[in-house]
Amino acid sequence: MALSTEAATPKSSPSNPLSRMWRDARIRAIILQVLTLVGVIAFFGWLVMNTAYNLSQRNMSAGFGFLDVSAGFGIGFTLVEYQEGDSYLRVFYVGILNTLLVAVVAIFLATVLGLIVGLARLSDNWLIGKIARCYVELLRNTPLLLQIIAWYFGVFNLLPRPKQSIELAEGFVLNNRGFYLPAPVPEAGFNIVLITFAAAVIFAIGLYRWSTVRLDKTGKAFPAISTGLAVIIGAPLAIHLALGAPLGWDIPVLKGFNFTGGTSVPPSFCALIVALSAYTSCFIAEIVRAGIQSVSKGQLEAAGALNLPPNWTLRRVVMPQALRVIIPPLISQYLNVTKNSSLAIAIGFPDLVSVWMNTSLNQSGRAIPIVAMTMAFYCLVSLSVSFVMNYYNKRALLKER
Amino acid sequence: MSDTLIFSPKPDRPAPAESVGLIGWLRGNLFKDVPNALMTILGAYIAFVVLSWVLNWAIFNAVWEAESRRECLDMVGRSGACWPGVGVWFENMIYGLYPKDKVWRINLGFAVLIAWMIPLWMPKVQSKVAIGLSAVLIYPFLASYFFLGGDKSILWTALISLSLTVFVWVWATALSETFIGKSVGEVVVDKAGARNADEQRQRLIKRGVALVVFLVAVLLVNEWALEEVRTRVWGGLFLTLVISGIGITFSLPAGILLALGRRSDMPVISMLCTAFIELFRSVPLITILFMFNTMLPLFMPQGVEVDQLLRAIVAVCLFAAAYMAEVIRGGLQAIPKGQFEAAASLGLGYWQTTTQIVLPQALKIMIPTIVGNFIGLFKDTTLVSIIGLFDLMNMARAVGEDTTWLGLFIEPFFAVTMIYFVFCFAMSSYSMRLERKLATGRDR
Amino acid sequence: MSAEKRTKMIEVVGLNKWFGQFHVLKDIDLVVRDGEKIVICGPSGSGKSTLIRCINQLEHHQEGDILVGGVPVEKKGGNVREIRAQVGMVFQSFNLFPHITVLENCTLTPQLGLQMPKAEAEEIAMKHLTRVGIDDQALKYPLQLSGGQQQRVAIARALTMQPKIMLFDEPTSALDPEMIKEVLDVMVELAEEGMTMICVTHEMGFARQVADEVIFMDQGEIVEAGPPESFFANPRFDRSQQFLAHVM
Repeated sequence: MALSTEAATPKSSPSNPLSRMWRDARIRAIILQVLTLVGVIAFFGWLVMNTAYNLSQRNMSAGFGFLDVSAGFGIGFTLVEYQEGDSYLRVFYVGILNTLLVAVVAIFLATVLGLIVGLARLSDNWLIGKIARCYVELLRNTPLLLQIIAWYFGVFNLLPRPKQSIELAEGFVLNNRGFYLPAPVPEAGFNIVLITFAAAVIFAIGLYRWSTVRLDKTGKAFPAISTGLAVIIGAPLAIHLALGAPLGWDIPVLKGFNFTGGTSVPPSFCALIVALSAYTSCFIAEIVRAGIQSVSKGQLEAAGALNLPPNWTLRRVVMPQALRVIIPPLISQYLNVTKNSSLAIAIGFPDLVSVWMNTSLNQSGRAIPIVAMTMAFYCLVSLSVSFVMNYYNKRALLKER
Repeated sequence: MSDTLIFSPKPDRPAPAESVGLIGWLRGNLFKDVPNALMTILGAYIAFVVLSWVLNWAIFNAVWEAESRRECLDMVGRSGACWPGVGVWFENMIYGLYPKDKVWRINLGFAVLIAWMIPLWMPKVQSKVAIGLSAVLIYPFLASYFFLGGDKSILWTALISLSLTVFVWVWATALSETFIGKSVGEVVVDKAGARNADEQRQRLIKRGVALVVFLVAVLLVNEWALEEVRTRVWGGLFLTLVISGIGITFSLPAGILLALGRRSDMPVISMLCTAFIELFRSVPLITILFMFNTMLPLFMPQGVEVDQLLRAIVAVCLFAAAYMAEVIRGGLQAIPKGQFEAAASLGLGYWQTTTQIVLPQALKIMIPTIVGNFIGLFKDTTLVSIIGLFDLMNMARAVGEDTTWLGLFIEPFFAVTMIYFVFCFAMSSYSMRLERKLATGRDR
Repeated sequence: MSAEKRTKMIEVVGLNKWFGQFHVLKDIDLVVRDGEKIVICGPSGSGKSTLIRCINQLEHHQEGDILVGGVPVEKKGGNVREIRAQVGMVFQSFNLFPHITVLENCTLTPQLGLQMPKAEAEEIAMKHLTRVGIDDQALKYPLQLSGGQQQRVAIARALTMQPKIMLFDEPTSALDPEMIKEVLDVMVELAEEGMTMICVTHEMGFARQVADEVIFMDQGEIVEAGPPESFFANPRFDRSQQFLAHVM
């Protein structure tokens, strides 16, 4: 860019060599940079010295040696096997998995919800548009943390005790201990269903390829997407039923004071997911709306005047252009969800920050390695996301002169 | 050649009834076809259910007078809100645990801020930029003394006096520009009868008057002693506003510097700025708060205590600066290259180009995003509750942990949600209005 | 062949349209026969664009009847696709699809609307692109072309529909002066090949050269209509005279 210090060239012949050097922009730039660098290094050196002194005063160390020491505390919700005696490294792993679980579930729900609300915002029905607008304004203008805590303390924690559980459907139970749902138990022969499913997916992909080739060759369209979906769902289901349903469901049942069997998530998880997906859905809704509105009216009129069938207008004209506008901010919303899942700590859900940066840090006192590892994890996630984004942006750039 | 005929247009006829008016509107917007009508009915039903539920709970079934939550529950159970708990705690939700007899200091502090900013909305005032800048840069010295109190060092006394002097200047300017149509300086010179004196003498007179005001202020401030209030008892909306106010004030200039640094041709500077921005943007705010909370004591030399509020403020400021830097960089990138070339052809140096040509344009186009960032910062201050500060949200939570009001969560959350909403919605509506105004300005 | 015997391609009877309370088109009657070239002119806001947009149903009218190729337009848009299949349209702002190549812009309708094989669609697209002189740019993206080239692509794209009637909505208004001619040349050529055309344009030279009838509109009404020779030489109304004095 033209933002250059070189614009200021020496004007008069200076008297002494020092001021001559200062007037030369290139030399000035070098001096400035060296000074900055020295300053920054000195600052960090000072921090390191202070820290080293403070650590030695408190008999603490900054090494990673504690990672294989037994952590000695329990974790309320884990995706993988974990016991109190497991190492700190295992705690880190458990924390990462929990963070990723929250992120993935919330991203899925927020996208679905955001798409619905975004389309509702664009609805030509005045009332639906207004309701969607209220939803968006109300949720995005209040802090996420407040929403999480309100859902937790105001709703999920106040649910009835297990004996008076709310049964949403057979096997789906909600009470103040969490949300219980049936767990699938594969039995003999279920592998065949899985294989059928895989085969159906391959078939559907093939069908889609064939339909595009056929469209090119004959001009006849074939509903490959709907047929493919029907095959993917229908074929495994048919085999499943033919084999006598070789997938059992472990349904949670009330035993004593609590439910056993099935699988469950704690109330904090429910609150986190509901709040996070509702909050993010507002932003996604606005992104979807902006994306669709970015396709100018002229484009739709041209498609109309060309007599393009509506479904093809959507697939070939509207979607490709809207997605270009939607995808970059959408990806950064997904990154935000991952970062915001760290608010889990406020309601005690054991995500990475809660279980690692809080509990482990307090237990072991190894502030520096623990903070560094946490930051490294989030940086890694951001870096990979921005890598994907750069790739997409480069590909999606509109070719102009 | 035949005679020219005069074209007289036919009078407009009113549009057919079914396409305009109430019926036309209903047809176009609510009952276009059968699915549309069904949607309308469904939407009306949802709106009715939600609204009636909220209104019943919050108003019609609510309890307005009770001594404890038990009493509320006995009266209406969970079907109505229990407002007395919120009422009892309301003052704490606004001022935290700030001593009751000193709350006037907070009120006065914010009143002064509002008084400081009123000239910004007075149409005839010319020096709006200077007044706005002074509110951001000078006002905090005065406010800090209002809020903190305690012993004043000489430097602090001087700064507070400076702040008072500037406040006097702000209103003198506002009044003289509104009613006389001249700047304060000119008015002062006129009164001194030195209108025809040379520039140097005029400047001397202006400075003399400013110095006199300043000295009077110093005398006043010296006499003025406010008892110290430790930041530990700060809380509620007051704390939220202090943290977000400082964050907003700091983030804009710091963000500008970081953005310029990132775009600089000097590799060391640009790398350092990029590293800072990317690091702070890629991790969640809560990890930064935790880091500063646990590591700042480790980083400081032996014996240096860093107040917990200060740790939180430092974390929030750096975080906000990194985000602001990217917003400003976006604005800078949108400035066409021709602007830089034009500035270079005028022989302007880097700082002149930047401050006079590039930045004003970049800031102007990014105003909506900048305000959006401010809103985000305001909402993000709730995170300080996690490291144990009692901001507005944490105060609301504390209500439900009070033994008299045990379990009273929804009502205080409802109340603070309204407060947050009013603040954020006001900011976003203002920025949208500004955006529309700027957009029309561009079109012309 | 006498003019009266040719089939009526478009017939507009008593057309009235309002935008909200604003009466944009007042009692418009218009007949366009096969092979005729109509030029509509008039000051901005006179309703000329709205009129041709009503013909292919980009706008819906409230009163009156429109027949396209003998088929009456249903007011609620029931037979939009049937009507539009006969009508090609060129817009002031080109409205090319920027995310696909010039060739793909032109194969969309033959392939997906007319259900032709891709090879055949490309053949048709290339035929029309060659006709407007853009065949060597077929694999570029629209925004890589100049305005004049884009508008020529837009004409080719409309022709791939194999329409019976072409509507032009101020096709040269958004162009730089040096590009206007290349677009007008294409339009003249098209006219000479016998295409039925309705052009909203201020290019009076074009009107003189090809129009069978010039229609002057003002304030939502047709003020006067007639062959270009008499209209230009001898406008009958004050408004037409003022307008001609202004544009010529």
